[in-house]
Amino acid sequence: MRRRFRPPLALWWLLPFALVFGAFQLAPLGYVALGAFRVDGGWGLDHFREIATSAFYRQAILRSLEIALVSSLLGIVIAAFACYGLTRTGGRVRRVLIAFTNMTSNFAGVPLAFAFIILLGANGTLTLALERLGLVDTFNLYSRTGLMIIYTWFQVPLGILLLLPAFAGLRREWREAASLLGAGRFDYWRHIGLPALWPSLVGTLSILLANAIGTYATVFALVGNNYNLLTIRIANLVSGDLFLQPDLASALSLITVALLTLMTLIQQRLMRGRPHAGKR
Amino acid sequence: MTSSSPASPTADASTSPYLRLRGVHKSYGDTPVLQSIDADIARGEFVTLLGPSGCGKSTLLRAIAGLTPMDAGDIEVAGETITHLPPQRRDIGMVFQHYALFPNMSVADNVAFGLKMRRVDAAERRERVEQALALVELDTHALKSPHQLSGGQRQRVALARALITRPRILLMDEPLSALDAKIRQHLREQLREIQRQLQLTTLFVTHDQEEAMMLSDRIFLMGEGHILQHGDAESLYTRPNSEAVVNFVGAYNRFDAEQASRLLGRDIEGQCFALRPEALYLVSEKSAPALPANPGPGCRGTIAARQLLGSIVRYRIECEGLSMNVDTLNRGVRSLMTRGSDVVVHADIDEARLL
Repeated sequence: MRRRFRPPLALWWLLPFALVFGAFQLAPLGYVALGAFRVDGGWGLDHFREIATSAFYRQAILRSLEIALVSSLLGIVIAAFACYGLTRTGGRVRRVLIAFTNMTSNFAGVPLAFAFIILLGANGTLTLALERLGLVDTFNLYSRTGLMIIYTWFQVPLGILLLLPAFAGLRREWREAASLLGAGRFDYWRHIGLPALWPSLVGTLSILLANAIGTYATVFALVGNNYNLLTIRIANLVSGDLFLQPDLASALSLITVALLTLMTLIQQRLMRGRPHAGKR
Repeated sequence: MTSSSPASPTADASTSPYLRLRGVHKSYGDTPVLQSIDADIARGEFVTLLGPSGCGKSTLLRAIAGLTPMDAGDIEVAGETITHLPPQRRDIGMVFQHYALFPNMSVADNVAFGLKMRRVDAAERRERVEQALALVELDTHALKSPHQLSGGQRQRVALARALITRPRILLMDEPLSALDAKIRQHLREQLREIQRQLQLTTLFVTHDQEEAMMLSDRIFLMGEGHILQHGDAESLYTRPNSEAVVNFVGAYNRFDAEQASRLLGRDIEGQCFALRPEALYLVSEKSAPALPANPGPGCRGTIAARQLLGSIVRYRIECEGLSMNVDTLNRGVRSLMTRGSDVVVHADIDEARLL
C-alpha cells in the first residue's frame, strides 16, 4: 500500500513566506514579463526594438551599468579594507564600529540624499569649507561624480556587513603557518587570504551591483529626472503625467532583471573555478 | 639523559646544545606567562612541554617560532641567535592543534607551499611533495581537498607540510588533542617513528602525561610560567620533586608526616609524603600479592569505592582514618574485590617520596 506523502511540520512554517513571495515577487514579475511583450492588444517585440534603437534608453542602461560597476568596485575595495581593520581591532571599538555600520547601511533613500545635499550640495557645509580651503574649485553633487560618491557611500556599509563574516573566518593559524613556511604578507594574501575570501567577494560584488542597479529613491531625491538611469526611466513611464507607457516600463524592467540574472550567472561561473574555496 | 632536575633544564643536554633558551620572559599586562626560562635541547632530541592549560607551554613554543614576541631573553639554534628574526627566516617547522591547512589548496599544494615560497623549481617540488606524502602514508590523497580528509589525515598533511622544507626544529602544539583516541595512538607511533628516522629536533606541547611519557626523550613539566622539573619519563614519574609536580603527574596519594608514620609504622619527619597508587599493596581473602622487600607492618582498612580503568582497578581505601588510592592489575572478575571488603594495605617504603 502506498503511503500518502505527509510534509514535515517544519515545511508548514514556509507557507506564509511562499504566499508572500508568490504575491509580491512572482506575480508582479509574471505581470511585467507579459507586459513587456504586449503591444496594442497583441504580442510582439516592439518595446525591445524601441529600447534598442533609442539612444536615450541605451544611455540609461549604460549609465546604470557604469554607476553600478564603479560604485560596487569602489564599495567592495573600501569595505574589504574596513573589514580587515575591524578584524584586527579590539572588542569595544569593533562593537561600536559594527553598530555604526549597521545603522548606516539602513540610512538610504531620501534622508541620505538630504544629508548629502546639506554636506556636499552647492551650498553644503563641506563644499564651502573645501572651497574656502582651496582644496576644490567647484564641486557638483548633482553630477556623475556626485552620484558615484553617494552610491559608493551606501555600498560601503552593506559591503562591510556582507564581508565581515568572511574576514572573521580567516584563521590566524593560516597566516602563522604561512609565515613559518616563508610567506611574507603579500604572499599570504595572494596565495591564501584572497583565494579563501574569493567566494564572499564575488557574492558580495553581485549583491552590490544589484543594489546599485535597483536604486531609485536616493538618486531621484537628488537629481530628479536630470540624470538618465534605468530606474528613473521606468518610474517616469509608469507614473509620468505625459508619457504613461507601462508596457515599455515592463520591457525596461525585464532588461534590468536580465542584467541581474547575467551578473548572478557570471558570479556562479567565477565561483566554479575555485573548488576548494570556502570549505574549511 | 635520565636525571631529573628541579630548576634549569640545561644540565641534561649534550655539551653543545642545538636549541638554547636563556632567560625567556613574557608577560601579558601584569600577568607573567613565562618567567626566565632557561633550557638546552640536544640535536635530534624529542622534548615535550607538559603542563596544565595556561602554564605557558604554548606561549614558549610560539616564542621559539617567532609568532609571539618575547619581553626578554635569547634563543639560539645551532649557535645562531634567532631572537630577533621574523618567523620566515627562523627555519622552524610547526604543526598546529587544528591543522591550519589552507582551505583553498589541494593536499599537494598545501605540502608544496613552503617550497614554492623558497622558489624551488616545479620538478623538484613535485618530487619532494611525493616523498613527503609517502612519508606520512598519504601519497594517494595528493589531489584531494583538506575538507575531504579525516582529522588524522589532515594532521599528517600538516606534518608533511612542516617537514618538507627540512626545518632545523619541529614544533608541535598539541597536534593530537583534536583527534579521537584510536587515531591519536596510531599517530603518536607514526610521529615518533618519523622523528627518529629524520633525527629531527622536536618540541612537542601536550597536557596529556601519557602522551608525553610515550613519546619523549625528555619531558619539561611546566607550571605558572616556570619549568618545574625535567627529565625522562621514568624519573619524572617516579621521582617528583615538588607538590606542584605531584599534583600533575600520576595519581599520587599525599600524606603529612603523622599520616605517613601511621601507614609506614615508623616515625617520619618532613612536610609531605607522596606515594603512587601502584606502590601500595592490598592483601585480602581474594588477593595475596608478592609484597615488596620493605612492606612495613600494614594498615587495616576497608574498600570504600572501586573504579575499573581497563587493565587497572583503582580502589579507594579507608584505613585507620587515612584515605588513599590503590591500583592493582585487573586479572579478571574473580579477583575483583567488592565495596566494604576488609583489606590490609602495605606500602613500598622505598617508593615513598619526601617533598
